[in-house]
Amino acid sequence: MKGNWGSSVFLLALAGAAVRLSGSPAPEPNPLPLVGTQLGEFPAGPMKVVADQACLRCHSADMVRQQRLTEKQWTAEVTKMAGWGAVVPEDQKAGLIAYFVEHFGPDNDSFRPVVAQPPPR
Amino acid sequence: MPEPPEPTIESRGWTRRRLFAAAAAAATTAVVRLPGPDVRRRLIQMNGYPIDAETPLDLLTSYLTPNDVFFVRHHWNPTFPDAAAWRLTVDGEVERPLSLSLADLRAMPRASATCVLQCAGNGRALHRPIVPGVQWKYGAVGNAKWTGVRVRDLLEKAGLKAGARHLHTFGTDKPPEKVPPFHRSVELDKVREDGLIAFEMNGEPLPQLHGGPARLVVPGWAGDHWMKWLDRISPQTAPQTGFYMDVGYRYPKTPGEPGVAFKPEEMTPVTELFVKSNITEAPAGARVGTAATIRGFAFSGAPDVTKVEVSDDGGATWSPAALGKDHDPHAWRLWSFAYTPRKAGKTTLHARATDSRGAVQPRDAVWNQSGYLYNAWPSVEIEVSA
Repeated sequence: MKGNWGSSVFLLALAGAAVRLSGSPAPEPNPLPLVGTQLGEFPAGPMKVVADQACLRCHSADMVRQQRLTEKQWTAEVTKMAGWGAVVPEDQKAGLIAYFVEHFGPDNDSFRPVVAQPPPR
Repeated sequence: MPEPPEPTIESRGWTRRRLFAAAAAAATTAVVRLPGPDVRRRLIQMNGYPIDAETPLDLLTSYLTPNDVFFVRHHWNPTFPDAAAWRLTVDGEVERPLSLSLADLRAMPRASATCVLQCAGNGRALHRPIVPGVQWKYGAVGNAKWTGVRVRDLLEKAGLKAGARHLHTFGTDKPPEKVPPFHRSVELDKVREDGLIAFEMNGEPLPQLHGGPARLVVPGWAGDHWMKWLDRISPQTAPQTGFYMDVGYRYPKTPGEPGVAFKPEEMTPVTELFVKSNITEAPAGARVGTAATIRGFAFSGAPDVTKVEVSDDGGATWSPAALGKDHDPHAWRLWSFAYTPRKAGKTTLHARATDSRGAVQPRDAVWNQSGYLYNAWPSVEIEVSA
């Protein structure tokens, strides 16, 4: 699952730490993705292309994937974003809201934040 | 190899010692060290772009939060100003409008403030019912030493006129599409008292991710006032208008029923932070009669925190924690508590802070539809053995 990718990388990093002995040479690159790397995508399905077109010009899919909203709340969000310039064809609006409610409704527990490498100093 | 806990913000007990232990358990020789880069230095990224990332609690254990792990919150992809070409405009209700370079600012008398910067939405994910927005949990907060020039000095230089009441602030980040601009204002009385235009953070040039070359610092007030990539300040007689003043960053005047949205007339702008403590370190297990150390931080919109207490009985009785010696107006105080369990079993510890005006951190935060200023008692569960 994409949202867990950062965690998996991290576990690999720990495994690396386990076999690394004192006096070993060259520092390894930080295995975490640099903060700002986009890793999450909208779930597959016929509405993915609609969501991509509507949302991704201004923010990554993560912003949507972390929400846990009711149909009423999603309707309000999609309406607000359409007013702010999100491209949501009128005949796709209901389908997009339904897609968000299905995947990112109140019981959505699929989102995992990405453990990221801090910016270089 | 024992499986380490998933490195999310819930992993409160995840420490360097555990990392060593995990590594040592699988190593063939006794001497093991961390890989070159310190993978403990990390952020919990909530959003790829614009960047929104919070600090894991186990990195919020020092008086000053290091710049590289300080939380990042951007409304949209910013255009970072070129520090060499950057100018700060001072106009509006002033006798002498100014246009200053970074060198001009650096040539003025300097001032510093060590204080907390907390996103207004920190803890949003903990509100019930759930509200939309970046689902911050604990770490959209940090404490830093901010250095720059006093807003007061700059306005004096420009000749502030008598009728001005609000400082309008503008940054270089421009919204995409038809999103309203992030234009804000803050009461002049407040920023003339202790506001700074900061170009340094913890002794380093203010990083671009945090608003460099310069940002507003409003000690004790929520982050929405701390304009990043600041390029214009303008004293005016009336407050700024627009979405981010009139709709966003508003909080109920009085608590209501959770889940019932407040009407516009029931709201007032978010200003001061609420008194709040958090727990950053606690052992997963402890023994009856043996002291275990619990640590955390506490801050408030009031100048100081005077007390932090811990309860092991759901708030029926409280015991005082020891406060760290470092403190500055509106900075956080680190605290520690030697907890000696009285009985075996799963035990939930709560903490609460009291500020210098006597405000006490509440058991429950006030629900609001934007999820601002969450400050309920933090808790941690530990397993006590006999």
